[in-house]
Amino acid sequence: MNVEHVLTTCPYCGTGCNFYLQVVDGRLVGVVPCKTDEISLGKLCIKGYNAHAFVQHPDRLIHPMVRQGGDMRRVSWEEALDKLASEIKRIRDKYGPDSIAVLASAKCTNEENYLFQKLARAVIGTNNVDHCARLCHASTVAGLLYSFGSGAMTNTIPEFDNADCILVTGSNTLEAHPIIGSRMLRALEKGAKIITVDPRDTPLSRLAAIKLNQKSGSDIAWINGMIKVIIDEGLVDGEFVETRTTDFAKLKEAVSGYHLDKVESITGIPKDRLAEAARVFAKSKRAMVAYAMGITQHSNGTDIVKALANLSMVTGHLGKESNGLNPLRGQCNVQGSCDAGGLPNLYPGYQRVDDEQTRAKFEQAWGQRLPPKPGLTLTCAVKDALVGKLKAMIIFGENIMLSDPDITHVEQALKELELVAVVDIFPTETSSFAHIILPAACYAEKDGTFTNTDRSVRLLRKALAPPGEAWPDWKIACELAKRLGANGFDFASPAQVMDEMAKVTPIYGGIDHSRLDSEHLRWPCPTKDHKGTPILHTQKFTKGLGTFAPVHHKPPAEEPSEEYPFILTTGRNLFQYHTGTMTRRSPKLEREAPEPYVEINTGDAKRLGIVDGERVMVSSRRGAISLKAAVTDRIIPGSIFIPFHYAEAPANRLTNAALDPVSNIPELKVCAAKVQKA
Amino acid sequence: MLPELAFDKLGADLLLAMCEGHGNVGPIVISKGEKMAKVRTDVPYQLVTILTNIYPFIGQKKLALLCRRCDEKALAELEKRGLVDEKRVLRIGLACSADQIKACRCSDPVPSVVHIGAPGKPAGEDELMNKLLAMPSEERLKFWTAQFRKCNKCFACTLNCPVCFCDDCVLEERTFVAEKGIPPGMSFHLIRTFHLSDKCVECGECERSCPAGIPLLTLRKMAAKDMKALYGFVSGDKKKVSPLLTTLEGEPMEDECHEC
Amino acid sequence: MTEFEPTILAFCCNWCSYAGADLAGVSRLQMPPNVHIVRVMCSASVKPEYAIKAISQGIDGVLVLGCHIGDCHYMTGNHRTAKRFPVVQKLLEDVGIDKTRLRLDWVSAAEGEKFQKVVTEFVEDVKRLGPNPLKEVRF
Repeated sequence: MNVEHVLTTCPYCGTGCNFYLQVVDGRLVGVVPCKTDEISLGKLCIKGYNAHAFVQHPDRLIHPMVRQGGDMRRVSWEEALDKLASEIKRIRDKYGPDSIAVLASAKCTNEENYLFQKLARAVIGTNNVDHCARLCHASTVAGLLYSFGSGAMTNTIPEFDNADCILVTGSNTLEAHPIIGSRMLRALEKGAKIITVDPRDTPLSRLAAIKLNQKSGSDIAWINGMIKVIIDEGLVDGEFVETRTTDFAKLKEAVSGYHLDKVESITGIPKDRLAEAARVFAKSKRAMVAYAMGITQHSNGTDIVKALANLSMVTGHLGKESNGLNPLRGQCNVQGSCDAGGLPNLYPGYQRVDDEQTRAKFEQAWGQRLPPKPGLTLTCAVKDALVGKLKAMIIFGENIMLSDPDITHVEQALKELELVAVVDIFPTETSSFAHIILPAACYAEKDGTFTNTDRSVRLLRKALAPPGEAWPDWKIACELAKRLGANGFDFASPAQVMDEMAKVTPIYGGIDHSRLDSEHLRWPCPTKDHKGTPILHTQKFTKGLGTFAPVHHKPPAEEPSEEYPFILTTGRNLFQYHTGTMTRRSPKLEREAPEPYVEINTGDAKRLGIVDGERVMVSSRRGAISLKAAVTDRIIPGSIFIPFHYAEAPANRLTNAALDPVSNIPELKVCAAKVQKA
Repeated sequence: MLPELAFDKLGADLLLAMCEGHGNVGPIVISKGEKMAKVRTDVPYQLVTILTNIYPFIGQKKLALLCRRCDEKALAELEKRGLVDEKRVLRIGLACSADQIKACRCSDPVPSVVHIGAPGKPAGEDELMNKLLAMPSEERLKFWTAQFRKCNKCFACTLNCPVCFCDDCVLEERTFVAEKGIPPGMSFHLIRTFHLSDKCVECGECERSCPAGIPLLTLRKMAAKDMKALYGFVSGDKKKVSPLLTTLEGEPMEDECHEC
Repeated sequence: MTEFEPTILAFCCNWCSYAGADLAGVSRLQMPPNVHIVRVMCSASVKPEYAIKAISQGIDGVLVLGCHIGDCHYMTGNHRTAKRFPVVQKLLEDVGIDKTRLRLDWVSAAEGEKFQKVVTEFVEDVKRLGPNPLKEVRF
């Protein structure tokens, strides 16, 4: 009888808690929190405690499958990979390498994502590699790259404990990042002031010292309004602005028009409350900003992120302990999949694809000529597929049929493609369109690393064998690459892959699995004796001086009209995770939130004659779904909220694929909808 | 040292303790002959809970574990209800350090046999409990509702509790605790406290694993005080039947259900 | 200003107290209208969870009525009730809720008048306590 407690990293959110998987004779029996883990401190949320529940579920994909006629037929790995390779070659020869897109995965490890983008670039010959970061923090990567030179969380999760002011906007932290929320609660016990700005009442906003509700999409207005108050009342950190930034004059001019009356009319935030919040934030010594989708998922998301960067810089709340601008990354490894180059315009380590010198370096490292033009983003790839410009998608661990905006068009796009290959652990709404399905190992069945939202590179340790014939994604990528005639894919282990990645990725330069086995490292970690970097921009910004960006309020792409009078905003709840492939197969989680629902304000419901629990039809210009009404005061009048986890009532059937021009992130947080009794 | 004690002296087949590993400290189970990393009694895991997770799989094997006084009491409560065979669970008595005793506000810190550590003195009373009992009830209610509002339904208190053993947890029955939506309301915490009133051994694991920092151990201590006052009952004694399972004359009731 | 009328939940056991309630009704004894009676087979089947849930939801008072000790149809059922409910009352007190919002009493099938008395008294007591403060708590 063999009992193992295997220390690994959680596969759910970007907090990256570590815990022990309890394995008895090859069977997962439970989860034990790790008391010495710096990130989680021995605490977990309900998803973490159930992180073992889906792993050995009977629905797991266990055999490679190929579509023949209308059905999926089980085949050997040989046959499946041979078929996939020959299809890729055929399509590449006929239409060119840029007719193929590879979707990397924020659920796969750093090593795997490194291999996916190397496969796309050095083997297939295209820069069309992207993943779901496009849907969540693409604005952060683009925006902060502009403002600071680095798109990552500037401080660390443990620092929230000691903040005296936390401005939380566009993040339902206690539901989406519970253990980070738990840190905020610790700060609260010590007397910290929490300021929340959100169109919804959230578990955190109920505990906030200052709770502000703004209209979805009006964020630049209130941020500029705050900055104007800070400038007018002499609360600017003059020294910081002087020595560490440039273009302050442009910012000052840009915000000069955002006086509080105007801001109130745009946002709905009462002016004295906004002014109070500005003062509290500016005057605090240890003030942190935490933000997520509410800021990023807009057609001007990049600009909104730049506005927050402006706010942090003008108050000097950067580069010091318990300060900073902190985007809370969603997926367990979305930070890592960006770091590892799973992006169409960036190599691993955020080095530009269209920079000749950088490209030459990678060409040498990989022994291949590399494509010079940045590739398609995920959202553009779908649009190109729709018009026949894209012919193939190789999708590693992503369920675009539920997570992308406007899924009616996603469905049409998938149907247009000549080749859809899906590599996943469960059958999904996306895999039902696949020509080839390859079964993958999940987090508990392989070694590798995830990078969490505060840049900690965390180890996964294999706890049990994958089911059936499932292979870890790194092996699948290598075997596919070899069949496409590539060299440089002979790896005996993920540790070896990391070694290669570290050689070409300066921010990961000093990282290897044996160091990670006992040390807690955050990138940048350029050399083997470097201890990692907890706080960014301490002496200077990654790009030298921080740049103020003069940005202005722009209304959302689709505003309410007479026919579609509500603002529909989408998001998450605590118990389910994203498209539900894992959580809906975990009994204790599914039990807590088994059905789709639409949150509608009490006053609005009364007006429409809708009672709590009644079935209603919510529709937008793109489609309609039927689900139950949850009548509540949590959401402001005129807005409704639908979580996107439920395939039977997919919120993304309604959402608008209006893209931010710089980051291509879709406006998942605002579209116009109507509600009718079903 | 510890392996010899467990395997040679006590005759165990398996040893459960907490050890260093991978830059952290975590639970391990080893068999006779296996190597063991450094034991870290300063990071106490709730080993009785971990034992109950693996107990269904250990067959007839004997398992030795590090056992604090509270763990001993927890095992007594489980044995009383026929959930664990005392002949197969061997205790290695662990005396808690002064800091640990203080952190738990522990009044009964010394196991019946001490193999590791030096016996410590009981700590003073739970200050928060005394403060709460002295408050007028409106203030006390305000305190507890503010605390319970932070609850995120992680179930850590239930999952890490050594004496929480029900397969079908009443907290997952929608009649009593509504699903969907957090915080779960007062009923979650009150029902839990009631269920534990005759079993809780005040190990403090609930409080230590609560992400919201709710002072759960204080609430347990208040309940324990009540049981003592009402029935002279203190949990952790194998020979004492729970007062909730005896008649008014103290006769044990003929019962299959051991829930409360 | 309207006077506070409490909402009361009364669990009555089939063999004794419910019959007693019936007798009170048949005898046309005056009863306050705020009491909602739930018939159970034995007071022991009233899991404390029900009372706790009721109070957590904002019900102003919970009454549990069983047979007199020694008369329980299931022998020791009411012993179990008698042991449990004082614990629940103490717990309510510990979190700051007045324990007299929960009351346990014994009424036999022949005691129609006692039923009326207990219920009327309880309603008055709860009225004096005021509305359950948990009604106002928005979790």
